[in-house]
Amino acid sequence: MITQIDVRGVLARVGPDWPDRRDLVTRHTGRAVRSSIETELALLSGRTVVVLDFSAVRIIDCSCADEIVAKLVLSSLVSESSLDAFFVIRGLDDDQMDDIDEVLRRQRLVLVAEVGGALRLIGEVADEARLTFEYLANHGTAGAEELAVELARPLDAVRATLDELYLRRVLLRDSGCYRAPTVAA
Amino acid sequence: MSAVIEVPARLDEASFEQVAAGFARSEGAAKVIVDAHACEWISPFGLTGLLAAGQALAERHGSRPLFTVPAERDVAHFWARMGFFTQAAETYEIHGTVPRVRAGESKVLLEVTPVRQAEDVHAVVHHIQEKSAEILTSELGLDAKATMGFGMALSEACQNIVEHAGTSGWVAVHSYSWRKLGKRVVVIAVADAGVGFRQTLEPSQAKRVGERWGDGAALEAAVLQSVSRFRDPGRGQGLAGIRRYLGRWQGKISIRSGTARIAIIPPWDEDTPLIENLAPFPGAQVQLVIPAEAQAAR
Repeated sequence: MITQIDVRGVLARVGPDWPDRRDLVTRHTGRAVRSSIETELALLSGRTVVVLDFSAVRIIDCSCADEIVAKLVLSSLVSESSLDAFFVIRGLDDDQMDDIDEVLRRQRLVLVAEVGGALRLIGEVADEARLTFEYLANHGTAGAEELAVELARPLDAVRATLDELYLRRVLLRDSGCYRAPTVAA
Repeated sequence: MSAVIEVPARLDEASFEQVAAGFARSEGAAKVIVDAHACEWISPFGLTGLLAAGQALAERHGSRPLFTVPAERDVAHFWARMGFFTQAAETYEIHGTVPRVRAGESKVLLEVTPVRQAEDVHAVVHHIQEKSAEILTSELGLDAKATMGFGMALSEACQNIVEHAGTSGWVAVHSYSWRKLGKRVVVIAVADAGVGFRQTLEPSQAKRVGERWGDGAALEAAVLQSVSRFRDPGRGQGLAGIRRYLGRWQGKISIRSGTARIAIIPPWDEDTPLIENLAPFPGAQVQLVIPAEAQAAR
């Protein structure tokens, strides 16, 4: 399943006194927006790709990004709920993407971002893992053996990379095959 | 006995040291007069710094200090258009004629605005994006992308007050010609008279730093190492975000806190990265400078 969340819509909900606000600024606001998103996600269960759409947001500062994006990713890594969430962000410009990249790196997190229609990883991730992800994002589903051939890397190393990316919630796994989140949930 | 703090003829970040020194000297005085009658020019840093001085004096002496309005009519009128006297009425007992400003007359990027809580930060960012983005791009030639990041940097600078100062503060944004650069700049000034960087970071950093611990080391930890007083590793991102933004657009940040001042200096400016043993002045005073017609550094 894929769930789209219009982050600006969430912002309007948490600040109804100022309905035209488009700026995600301050930790206080970030906490309120995250809390609202968590409430929405609590109604879901099973494997779900959660697309956080920032298209209608004008400004996002680092503090607010930390409260929303980094903390949602962190909670997905330790969650014991029935929801198996894989987060994807979209709708940010290059500078905003760079800022969120740094926010994630600070906590050694990684996240899938849709940029210009393509999927890529932002945050802290090794080059090999990034290349593996990009191959899957471009080619669809593949198993470790196929990837080892295509990427000309030892099978054990590819398996380790795929496991890492799966555990970090940026790849989905079905019957030993892996794929990037938005191909199909 | 009364003490007089003379406001220099040209009050900017550098000459604010005279105000800070006067603040330190006036500690035992029964009454303090902040005399701006001879002031001819003031930067946003000067305006917000004077309000922080007033707040600190009122707290230290238990009564509002006196404030003398600039004698030059045009100067006083500019201060009024910047909203200084509206804010100063809460911290100072004002002496002299305060010019009236008609509604809508002020065309400054952001008047001196109090920052007390997160909602104030929203209001400041909203104002800049709605009312001043056009000025930033069309009149100052600031790249449209730089304008968006401007809101982010402004927000993070203001949040330092909300998150760390333990009191309220002020922000102002204005553009003027920067003599060293030979072109216009946009300047954000944010000031408070709160606890300052050293006291904020002392519980977590003093032991780690050891003998060198002080205002300078606290500023280095916060600005260069993005250290925060919180254990949450996600904290301390605000100043890092500001630095990235300024790095993209050849901007400059300087922060004065306690007895020290730190600056991240772009190629177009000459400054000292860290100055210590300044006259003690409470809180934190931040200045961001973005050159007009700034092009991304990457």
